[in-house]
This record gives sequence, C-alpha cells and structure tokens, in this order.
Amino acid sequence: MRTLCPFLLNRYVITFGSIAVLVAAWNVYVAMNNDGVITGRVVGPDGRPVAGATVLLSERSLLVSTVRARALTDAEGAFRFSGHRLYHLYLEAEKEGMGRQAPTEFRLYFKGQNLVLREPLHLTPGK
Amino acid sequence: MQHYLRWPVHLLLAVVSLLMLVPFLWVFKTSLTGENIFVYPPALLPRNPHLYYYVDVWYAIPFFRYLMNSVFVSALVVAANIVFNAMAGYALSREFLGKRAVIVLFLSCMMIPFQVTIIPAYLITRGLGLLNSYLGMALPLFSTIVCIFVFKASFDAIPSSLIDAARIDGAPDWKIILRILMPLSKSAIATNVILAFIWSWNNFLWPLIIIRDQEMQTLPLGLSRFLSVVEDTTGALYAFCVMVLLPGLLVFLLAQREFIAGLTRGAAKG
Repeated sequence: MRTLCPFLLNRYVITFGSIAVLVAAWNVYVAMNNDGVITGRVVGPDGRPVAGATVLLSERSLLVSTVRARALTDAEGAFRFSGHRLYHLYLEAEKEGMGRQAPTEFRLYFKGQNLVLREPLHLTPGK
Repeated sequence: MQHYLRWPVHLLLAVVSLLMLVPFLWVFKTSLTGENIFVYPPALLPRNPHLYYYVDVWYAIPFFRYLMNSVFVSALVVAANIVFNAMAGYALSREFLGKRAVIVLFLSCMMIPFQVTIIPAYLITRGLGLLNSYLGMALPLFSTIVCIFVFKASFDAIPSSLIDAARIDGAPDWKIILRILMPLSKSAIATNVILAFIWSWNNFLWPLIIIRDQEMQTLPLGLSRFLSVVEDTTGALYAFCVMVLLPGLLVFLLAQREFIAGLTRGAAKG
C-alpha cells in the first residue's frame, strides 16, 4: 500500500483520474436526462392557460426550418413532447382567434436533454 | 537589499506574464459569449457566458472521433520519439568514426523545411502502403533532430564512469540506455514528450495530404471541415480552438518542470 500511494498521488494520475471521474459523472447525468421530454405551458394575452393551442417543435438548419413534432395543449394549457433528439430547437405556439407566439430558441447541453420551460409560451394577438 | 532589488523585477515579470495571457483570455471569452472581437468598448470579462458553442462544436462534426484520431497518432509519435531519439542520442554521445560528420549532417538537415521533403515523404509512405493510416500520419514525426540532441545533451551530462561500470558488469547497450541513462534523464524524456506531442497534435499539412477518409481525420483537419459546415463561426470557432488547445496545454503544464530542466540540461555541463 505504501509503495502504491506515491504512484497514485502523483499529478499525472490525479489530473487524468479527475478528468475520467468527471467524464463518467457527466455521462451518467446525460443517461439519466436524455429522454427527450419537453414540457411547458401556453398562456393567452390575459395570462390564462389556453387549451387546444398547437405547439410546434422545430429545428433550423442553415437554410430551412423543419417541424419535428407538434402537440396540443390540454385544459391546463400544458403540452408535452417526448423522444426528441435535438440540442438546438425552436418552440412556437398558435391558436386561431387567440394569437401566436413567434419561434423561440432553446439551446440544450446534449441531444435529447429533458427540458421544462420556466416561462410559459405567451400568445399575442395579431402576430 | 536583495529582496528590495528583486520585487520590481518580479512585478514587471508578472505584468508581462499577464499581458501574454490576454490573447488566451480573449479566445476563451469569445468561446463563451460569441461576441465579435472588434466590439467596442471591449470588455475583459465575458457578458452572459454560456457553453452552448462547445455543444455546437461537439455535434457539428464528429469531434470525438477526431479527438481519438489525434490522441492515437500523438501517442504513437510520443512513444516512437522516446525510443528512437534515446537510441540516436546514445549513439551520438559515444565516440565512433565519422561522429562529427553525422552531427553536421543532422544539423544541416534541420535547415531543410518539411515542405521541401513532402513529395519524397509521400512517395515513401505510398511505397510502404501507409497512405490513409495512423502509422502513415505518425511516421514522419517518429524521430526529430531537436529531440535527439536533447537526449544527447542529457546523456553527455551523465558521468561516463556509470556507463563504464555497467559495461564491466556485462550490460549490453540497450540495458545501459534502459536501466541507467533513461532513469537519469527524466527531464529529457519530458521535453521529448511535450515537443513530440505538440508537433503531432498541431500537424496539419501532412495529414491533409495523406488522409482520404473523413473518419481518419485529426483535429486540425476537423477545424477546416468545421469552418465549411458552420456559417456563424465566431463563438463556435473559438470554442473549437479552446477544445483543440486544451490537451496540449494540459500536457505542457503537467510536464513543464521537467521540460524547462530538459531544455537547460547540458548548458551547465562541465
């Protein structure tokens, strides 16, 4: 054990060992949070939940925007996507007669990261 | 009195050191903010920093594959440099007929830039069937003249009585290198590791010429590919630069004490 300690406590082992531990921890975190679930709410101009609004999940490349999924809000104004594999995405919401929320950018740290929207999507009339 | 004279020098050196770090800080800051480097007024600290540009780099190109290619080629180069340069350095530290001629030949070869020998190097590599391979990428860097002389200087500084004693005990040359000279030349080994790693890590032209498959590309080639893939490059480009710089920086910082000792070894000989 005494002969093993100096070998284990040199700066090379400590540095590369710490990096290995960090990488392992990050991979565990990714594995536990990459279900691709996005949840959030849609509210109207008055701040009340909007039921039946369409929420679009899209991805933009250099030239085009491609819709990857769509969802309808429930009576609480809540929506949910699952199984997305994006790390840079846009969400927009719309309901006829209520208004629209322009595409809002969301960036994630890895593909399929679970996302809970802190702020609801706001529908604004006339946009 | 001595302290009084030293502190202004240390202060000046500290200021100069900080000035030298400004470009690194600038690159790191831009990788976190993506702001234009010509923005006015310039800010030393990042505003609204985030790591998303690093994520863009990771997914825009097969970064992990390129990283592993670079690591594998650099590991090959480092291992080969230590073995071949130690052997060459040992030979040059012994006396033999034509030693001066060999040293002059080596020194004169240092004056020829790699670009001049790139066509023969390509033809030899093709003749060996090593195009588009890790070994082909590493081969021209397997032994470098500067590092041979680092080993030579280190071996010259070791008392010859040690080698003579080993020879009397019947040790062959390879055992003398492995058991006596190498344990006493840690600084030369560190210098070889750092120089070989950095040269291999930053090598762009040679891999560009002999690599055909995208899967075989190293990080410097990945950088040129990345520039063609990503349009808004400011933040992501700087993030890529940081990601390429970090391993070399880490190796240097870990071995810098031995590296500096290795570069000055031999200067104080005698």
